[in-house]
Amino acid sequence: MDLKLNSYPAPSDYFGVLWGLSGVDDLLVLEHGSTGTCSYNVVNYMIMNKQSPKGKLFSCGMDEDDVVMGREDKLKRAVEELDQTFHPKIIALVATGVTSVIGLDLDGVIEEIQPRTNAKLLSFASGGFAGDYTWGIKEVFRTLAMEVAEESKDRKPFSVNVIGPAIDSFNNVSDLAELRRLLKLLGAEVNTVFTCHTSVGGIESMASASLNLVTRDVGLEAAQILEDRFGIPYVYGLPFGIKGTVEWLEEVGERLDLYLEMGTLASELERYGFSILELTTPLQRCDHLRAVISCPYDYALGFAKLMRDEWGMNPPLVVLPTEPNDPKFEDELGRFGVSDVLIGPDTSILEEEVFRIDPHVIFGNSYDLHIAKEVPIKMHAAFPAFDRLYRFDGTPFVGFRGHAYLTQTFVNLLNQNPEVFRN
Amino acid sequence: MKLDDISLEGKCLRLSEVVEDVALPKTADAKYPGSHCAFRTVAGILPLIKNSYGLLLGPAICLYNAKLTVNIRSLTSDPRPNNLLFLTYSQEDIIFGFHKKVREAILEVDRRYHPEVLFLVTTCLQEIVGEDFDASIEEIQREVKAKMLVIHTDNFTCEDASPGIENVFLSLSELMEPQEAEEGSVNLLGFWTPKAKKTELVRLLGSEDIMIKNAIPSYCSPEDLSRAPGVSLNIALDHFALKLAKKMKEMFGTEYIYCERPYHPDSIELWYQKIANALGIDLDLKVADLKRETEELVTQAKGSLSGKSCVLFGQPGRTLDMAFLLSELGIELKAIMLHRLLSDDHTDAQKLLAEGIDPLVFRGDNALQTEKLLSTLRPDICVGCRDYRVLARQGIEPCMLIPSHFKLGFEATNEILRLMHREPAGFGALRYKERLLNSGAV
Repeated sequence: MDLKLNSYPAPSDYFGVLWGLSGVDDLLVLEHGSTGTCSYNVVNYMIMNKQSPKGKLFSCGMDEDDVVMGREDKLKRAVEELDQTFHPKIIALVATGVTSVIGLDLDGVIEEIQPRTNAKLLSFASGGFAGDYTWGIKEVFRTLAMEVAEESKDRKPFSVNVIGPAIDSFNNVSDLAELRRLLKLLGAEVNTVFTCHTSVGGIESMASASLNLVTRDVGLEAAQILEDRFGIPYVYGLPFGIKGTVEWLEEVGERLDLYLEMGTLASELERYGFSILELTTPLQRCDHLRAVISCPYDYALGFAKLMRDEWGMNPPLVVLPTEPNDPKFEDELGRFGVSDVLIGPDTSILEEEVFRIDPHVIFGNSYDLHIAKEVPIKMHAAFPAFDRLYRFDGTPFVGFRGHAYLTQTFVNLLNQNPEVFRN
Repeated sequence: MKLDDISLEGKCLRLSEVVEDVALPKTADAKYPGSHCAFRTVAGILPLIKNSYGLLLGPAICLYNAKLTVNIRSLTSDPRPNNLLFLTYSQEDIIFGFHKKVREAILEVDRRYHPEVLFLVTTCLQEIVGEDFDASIEEIQREVKAKMLVIHTDNFTCEDASPGIENVFLSLSELMEPQEAEEGSVNLLGFWTPKAKKTELVRLLGSEDIMIKNAIPSYCSPEDLSRAPGVSLNIALDHFALKLAKKMKEMFGTEYIYCERPYHPDSIELWYQKIANALGIDLDLKVADLKRETEELVTQAKGSLSGKSCVLFGQPGRTLDMAFLLSELGIELKAIMLHRLLSDDHTDAQKLLAEGIDPLVFRGDNALQTEKLLSTLRPDICVGCRDYRVLARQGIEPCMLIPSHFKLGFEATNEILRLMHREPAGFGALRYKERLLNSGAV
């Protein structure tokens, strides 16, 4: 039994709902629960780049009578107050565990009060019992793609939506900046990021884009919905490493009928394309280094590819927090030399694996890095990252600049731990 | 989101209008962040008990945040031991019962970590579902070495964390055993800091051969707690600890006095007199020396603070006595943020009113409404508000007194006076940025 002394209890779908909705302006979130639940959320926003749900998240402040009598008056009053005070376009009613237990029907409440409410009301009724946080993010993406995105009269030919990044996406500030930069090099522009720094209007007009770029698998269902509803095709994947970035640009360009000029590519490669071989000496070999990658699937795939293709390493173990959408994920990772994949392992199993592999390198979340404290080269690459900020936009993992940043950082860490070259 | 849209009509009272022990008018139906829940506070206290573990039983909503809180705390100057364990309550557990899982977890904790005490903390959900944990714990107790204590934290039945904190304190009485009272020894109840035994109060009492046996719950071991009744006096420094003091009196006959932490030099003098009288010692000369020093600092501080205005957020102990100190410094008190006026606050409230000081009293548990109030009142200083960006944007000086919370007596007030002259590092740069943004630089 894993009681998570050195790890963390997996955040539930409830968190995914909050995080998925966090980046949408003109949308307010109203929890049906006690204020303690809402107040406690300050903590989890804090560890995601010191953000705050202030002005976004509210609670109706349920009390004992509401629980006993199953009353919904406070919820209705709170909706009315938010609607009349802040005039949001959407108010999302989010269930907590207590809502589920007392059996309050949020959709029933919406049916009753929607006619007298200006804001569109949406319900998220899972209450933390449906699955892990990715379930909640998917639910938000699905709902917004189905109920908020609208048909567009015009389609902008070189406009794309980025689907996937949300407040929980590690390193999203830098990665998004680099994706925008790459698209600009190609001659494309970002219509909206679903759901980071977007707005209800941005989501409503998603159908004006010509292509959707899905950056993580939790966005695939929404991309499929948008394709089914509006005929917008999508490309799935992240540009990791030089080769991966060129291939990604080619694929995106092909869909948009845009091509990266050779002069631009040459300039990028001159600035950011330095290989690890150019940064090390012949006595600093990396091909014997053992690495463990512990992060969500899309990052894990990218790191594994980068490590094998560009640093000459085969990571023997990948640890994923949740099972990916792709049923062939093990084969995909296997292509890059990954021999073992663990999904949400107990702390003791992870400890045993780290002990067995005795890696030189680990990429993971704050807890992984703590468990692997004897591993010389440690790099934050996933959330939860309670001891790591990533607000500055100049530390991307993706794209040409991501390749440069990761390679340079990796070599610096190698230089700080030269013993890894000796065993 | 515009503050202009928020109305504060009917949400502000004058101190003279407040009815004792009744919650102040709520400032919003849609609340953020609202009051802390008892579960959160209890999860913060348990690491203070040595050789113990806390098994937190609840939905991931509560547990994930509890774990992160411990981790964030581990990065500060006051880290707490990592002794919290987590058992997630699922929908199946609600339907089929949680007892079996809890039982297995308890046996596992006992076998693996060998705690002397194991706290089992429930959340709202179990209380609503109505599983009787106490009865099943009694059964399991026979099979484990750890002494088990159940802490209920049903947040939906109360407006703040008080009942949960009181439950933790009360549970500690179950670890206590009858002892012969040792003359000249005391416990401090309701004071949590690793430096409890280095405070001015402890030094002064020590100079009169009074020994502080325990500062409960600050890093007491179960053995310390078992012998805690062996004192001649309990000094309850916090209203949360009052129930424990009463319980110890009932169970072991341990005498107690209740004296919440004061801030004004006159109040501190009386506070020391009360303690000295209860212990039959004379602290007058030493207290007079300390009081003189603090009064000199107060006189000096008046020079720079007199004529300024301030909004005061709730402080540990007697917030209204802190208000009296601020007024002594010549600061105009525009508003005080409180949840409710406790009966203990009555004397301090009357003292302020007698001096013609009748500030607004506002329930400060909603961030946007509080921000609106600050923007309306425009005080020069804000004591205790942590939203530095809001303060910088509005041109209000922050005064954060957390370091003074770890001190007692005159030294706490001296620290407050020091902190009132010290801007938090980085605030100047933040203010500069906000000023540029306000003036349309971007």
